[in-house]
Amino acid sequence: MRIAFAGNPNSGKTTMYNALTGRNEKIGNWGGVTVGSKEFQLKKEFAGDKEVIAVDLPGAYSMSPFTPEEGITSEYVRTANPDAIVNIVDATNLSRSLFFTTQLLELGIPVVVALNKTDINEKEGTKIDAAKLSAKLNCPVFETVSTENKGLAEMIAKAISLAGTIQKAPYLQADIDLHDKNAVDAEDRKRYSFVNGIVADVETRKTLSAETNKTDKLDSVLLNPIAGIIIFAAVMFAVFQISQAEGPLGIGKIFEGLFTGWIETFQGWVAAQLENSPAIVSAILADGIVGGVGAVVGFLPLVMVMYFLIALLEDCGYMARVSAVMDPIFKRVGLSGKAVIPVIIGTGCGIPAIMACRTIRDERERRTSTMLTTFIPCGAKIPVIALFAGAFFNGAGWVSTLSYFLGIVLIFLGALLIKSITGYKYRKSFFIMELPKWKVPSLKYAVRSMLERAKAYIIKAATIILICNTLVQVMQTFNWHFQVVEEGAENTSILATIASPFAFLLIPLGFGVWQLAAAAITGFIAKENVVGTLATVFALTSFIDTEELAMTGGASTVATTMGLTTVTALAYLFFNLYTPPCFAAIGAMNSEMKSRGWLWGAIGLQLGTGYTIAFLVYQFGTLFTEGHFGTGFIPGLIAVLCMVAALILIGRKVRAHFDEQYQLHKAAKAAKATA
Amino acid sequence: MNFATVAAIIIIAAILFFAVRYIYKEKKKGNACIGCPYADSCPKHRQNGGGC
Repeated sequence: MRIAFAGNPNSGKTTMYNALTGRNEKIGNWGGVTVGSKEFQLKKEFAGDKEVIAVDLPGAYSMSPFTPEEGITSEYVRTANPDAIVNIVDATNLSRSLFFTTQLLELGIPVVVALNKTDINEKEGTKIDAAKLSAKLNCPVFETVSTENKGLAEMIAKAISLAGTIQKAPYLQADIDLHDKNAVDAEDRKRYSFVNGIVADVETRKTLSAETNKTDKLDSVLLNPIAGIIIFAAVMFAVFQISQAEGPLGIGKIFEGLFTGWIETFQGWVAAQLENSPAIVSAILADGIVGGVGAVVGFLPLVMVMYFLIALLEDCGYMARVSAVMDPIFKRVGLSGKAVIPVIIGTGCGIPAIMACRTIRDERERRTSTMLTTFIPCGAKIPVIALFAGAFFNGAGWVSTLSYFLGIVLIFLGALLIKSITGYKYRKSFFIMELPKWKVPSLKYAVRSMLERAKAYIIKAATIILICNTLVQVMQTFNWHFQVVEEGAENTSILATIASPFAFLLIPLGFGVWQLAAAAITGFIAKENVVGTLATVFALTSFIDTEELAMTGGASTVATTMGLTTVTALAYLFFNLYTPPCFAAIGAMNSEMKSRGWLWGAIGLQLGTGYTIAFLVYQFGTLFTEGHFGTGFIPGLIAVLCMVAALILIGRKVRAHFDEQYQLHKAAKAAKATA
Repeated sequence: MNFATVAAIIIIAAILFFAVRYIYKEKKKGNACIGCPYADSCPKHRQNGGGC
């Protein structure tokens, strides 16, 4: 049998689903975390000997879908005929939740209401008479707390026992024309007054919604259009200081120092054991596998600290406030306010961020968000940022902050560009997002979130990164005749000959050497590869040992070995951050956009953006620091102008197509009027 | 060929074998993003019109 879990966004469905099935699906303290349905068998302790499948559905406010993921929920409960529905109701917001409940009760499928988050109600002094509510709704009501497994066993036992029965609805929608907006509005109002009547009968509140409390006052500051953004900038700066910067607050760096020390010792030990072995064996094992993978894994503490802090911010309810404060700006540039959520998720991984764009209703806005979300540096890019910040900028926190804020600026500029190309006119769109209640963040949730990401990071390093580094090492060791490349003839290696043509294109960006080109290319497989490949091709693993390798006066080991100045290092960093993401993320973009044109447009835009940013940083940075433009200014300028010309041509073509459609539409209208 | 070399070759081969096998198994399960903690739910997402 199947039990569907349905309810409003952020009512705790996935938390309950995880508790009942033992799964570990992504949860978050905001609506819209679940964008597709998931199913898994209930644990034996809840289902007994029966095989019961739980189906976790995306949050929905009503049976009339407003967004694609709401459509999944309404379609599932209407057409898949689950044996029972568990309707998770946010007990802290009963009047809003019961609208959907009354619609579910009309389907005839047995419904069990889980009055979730009752622990918060207890703290706030809100009381709900569950027995009375049950009588009013004609269905069983259980008080539950998903995070503590409270009330879940009884609720599931009841849902199982009701399978096969017919649900009697307490409220039936009148037979109206669903295409008639006024009739639908009037019917919705009737349903709301029915729901409000129930709420008035069963709920007693100590604090009324209309009263201003401490959290309302806090929200008035955090949601202020100016103060909110300044506070957000300060909070993110603090996050980067703690997770990635040097200094007393730099917890990430302290752990990182310990970690890299162990890795280096191990690498030295491996190299010593292979002293009398052929160079290729030592190179693959000590430099490629241990050194290359170690260089990536060395940044794990930074990644873990950052995910821990982001999880705390998410869980306390702050990130949902950030979405609300950014909404007006996003709308101004032609994006939905909902695009803020993918951007925040994108700090972790680009793929779920791209999938989260599904919550955006308008197709153009959804595709634009999908196209631009990956400008925000994901977790895989943290090692790249940390490497360059550590080796070239003395571990300064501003490098990370700048990278993330430049990512946001590029999202805005990209949105404006797409808006102009597609001839989009500003129109009023709505961003309905419920602000979750402030709460003390759960350390358990934050630690779990951090450990999950750490596990993912290690698995990736031990599989994809390891294989890539081994291949890079082999390709660097051999030439096309499979002879070991001799010292001084590195340019004849397989890797050098493949990467050199790309390196030629990168000369106007200041880093036209094959090693850096090879690292950038392997970054498309996984961004952590940039660090691993650099470690392998330059035989350097102590990137982040700032005592030895920090750039001091332009003559550090790293700078000398890599042949980069601070300006070219920054240009190379930005090139890797803002060019297209890894192939897996591009695949996700393809799935979400469902348009080859938009996908290629996205790849072209990201390549062009990364190239242009790196070009501007290198050329103008060189102009400011050395008084002249850098190498390849004219060819680079021509390349950038060609990209601009291509954008203008595409824009004209798209607009001409729109005009053509508009004329056809006008002609058809005129013909109809004449007839 | 000394003992250390033989051991190193065996270790390299074993590491690569297990890495490739893990990737192959994950891909077969439909997980495009190796290591992702939420990759298991991706095939279902794809059924609903999305994917990763």
